[in-house]
Amino acid sequence: MYILARYVRMVERFNYRIGRLAMYLIFVMMAVLLWSSITKVSPFMRPSLWTLEIAQFLMVAYYILGGPYSIQLNSNVRMDLGYGVLSQKNKALVDAFTIFFLVIYLGFLLVGALNSFSYSLGNFRQDAIPFLYGVVRAFFTDGFDGAAAEFGVIERSRSIWRAPMWPIKLIMIIGFLLMLLQATAEFIKDIARMKTGLEDPFGTAPKNRNLN
Amino acid sequence: MSYEAIALLMFSSMMILLITGQRVFAAIGFVAAISSFFLWGTGGADIPFSAAIKLMNWYPLLTLPMFIFMGFVMSESGIADDLYKMFHVWMGSVNGGLAIGTIGLMVLISAMNGLSVAGMAIGATIALPELLKRNYDKLMVTGVIQAGSSLGILVPPSVVLVLYAMIARQPVGQLWLAGVFPGLMMAFMFVMYIGIRCRIQPHLGPPLSEKDRDIPLSEKLRLLRAGVLPFFIFFAMMIPFVKGWTSLVESSAIGAMTAFLSAVFKGRMTKRVFEESVRSTLGVSCMFMWIILAALAFGAVFDGLGAVKAIESLFVGQWGLNPWIILILMQLSFLLMGTFLDDTAMLVIVAPLYIPLVGALGFDLIWYGILYTITCQIAYMTPPFGYNLFLMRAMAPPEITIIDIYRSVIPFVLVMLVALCLVGFFPQIALWLPNYVYGN
Repeated sequence: MYILARYVRMVERFNYRIGRLAMYLIFVMMAVLLWSSITKVSPFMRPSLWTLEIAQFLMVAYYILGGPYSIQLNSNVRMDLGYGVLSQKNKALVDAFTIFFLVIYLGFLLVGALNSFSYSLGNFRQDAIPFLYGVVRAFFTDGFDGAAAEFGVIERSRSIWRAPMWPIKLIMIIGFLLMLLQATAEFIKDIARMKTGLEDPFGTAPKNRNLN
Repeated sequence: MSYEAIALLMFSSMMILLITGQRVFAAIGFVAAISSFFLWGTGGADIPFSAAIKLMNWYPLLTLPMFIFMGFVMSESGIADDLYKMFHVWMGSVNGGLAIGTIGLMVLISAMNGLSVAGMAIGATIALPELLKRNYDKLMVTGVIQAGSSLGILVPPSVVLVLYAMIARQPVGQLWLAGVFPGLMMAFMFVMYIGIRCRIQPHLGPPLSEKDRDIPLSEKLRLLRAGVLPFFIFFAMMIPFVKGWTSLVESSAIGAMTAFLSAVFKGRMTKRVFEESVRSTLGVSCMFMWIILAALAFGAVFDGLGAVKAIESLFVGQWGLNPWIILILMQLSFLLMGTFLDDTAMLVIVAPLYIPLVGALGFDLIWYGILYTITCQIAYMTPPFGYNLFLMRAMAPPEITIIDIYRSVIPFVLVMLVALCLVGFFPQIALWLPNYVYGN
């Protein structure tokens, strides 16, 4: 029990910090887009090529890295036709089962992201895990050059800017992993809620969240 | 199993999983992931993730966090308070005048923001307590705020029309212009309804007392200045966009920045307001984005099943229906599904099924975009599933029960249905302005 409580606290604190950082990306997006409009309107500058793509990457990072924090804030709507009238304990009971919808969905997202990430590093076979393992091992034995030797053709975006695609895919992998950690923490909290009847059994929920 | 049966199974299992009360995006994403895996094996397992890449490439979606942020800045900082006061003072003496003024307020907010969240938050925090204090009927008040704020997605700028534009591959500029007159017409119909109803039953919306009305003319004129801000924000966004200087997304960032700076200059951007608006923006953006992500995967599986062809062959081939009957059937089924299913997910799942069919039947896709948006507005307000209902319940004071909220939307939904039929039978209401502007 103690270990589980510590796990939940650790995961939630970490996801909270990441989410708080992601939260401010809205200003970075805004700044990038404003810069883009300035370069377009101003007669002295050439329109930037990179702004739109950077803004797209930022948007993805924003909602995927912010996802676990949004779960902590209870921002995700539920259809509460039947669920809304249940008691706290019964809600936790139902959630303890249905949280696996989330876990399985995230599992598929993660597998897809790993395949796509290994593709973006030039591995066109469907064996993402051995390939990525090889890259990591080469990194530890031969450093950056060794890791780079494992790569094939690096995937780039189809724009004039030709941005490499692997950084955003790596961010997505990290985001899905964090979401999975958050989902397991939710599962543990649901079990604890069933036992104790408390809304916030480990005292980890952020202030200002929406109440279910 | 036939493809129709699989499609039906997917829809019904989504429905059942939604009722369990798990987060909407998790239920939809789960059905999408499992069915693609069983249909197409390991290759199908990548479909949920490909949806994430597709979502990233839908760059006009960047307007979503921008408009959400702008809406929260306006509602949290209270820069809309002055606007409300303006309508309050000028409209207070009429029966139901404050409710009519609230519709006016909502139209102005809709012209600055592309979602209904903003109008909802402003209506619930500013207009709702004031109207209740002045003995307005609570059903009237909650109905007015829900109906009024739904104009946010019809009056330009509109995020729903952006989503529609991406799916239908139609120009956003024309769609936005097409929304102007239907939006104003609908607002006018709301005003007519409120005016007539409050004339017959004055207790629903009593005029202000002598004491409240006794405001010097100079003060009244001073309050008119509050109306400048929305026009300023609207034109700061729309002029560069319509002139082609900036893209849609850049314009929305300009709008968000303008709203933020006006709050700063008015001294309203306190630490609390900043924290609230930035955090709520993340929460609401994540909610929408994850639902769209899951719904895109669901839609991709549907597409792979050939559901579009199946529906088309059913309507056109087997039943041999007249195009107008098909259109009406489509809107009816859309309304019906919109009541029960998540509205954003509906948008992303149903639109790719229906839009090609509408195009194939020879209807104008700009015009259909407006019909589609009005249908979405209705779906947002009809129980048991509607974002406006959720938001209203979260924001309304405890004396307003969920039953009150459900009942309050009935007359307004009827008005909106009339508006839907009007735009349906007289396409010129929507199409005149875009043809006029882009025709030359």
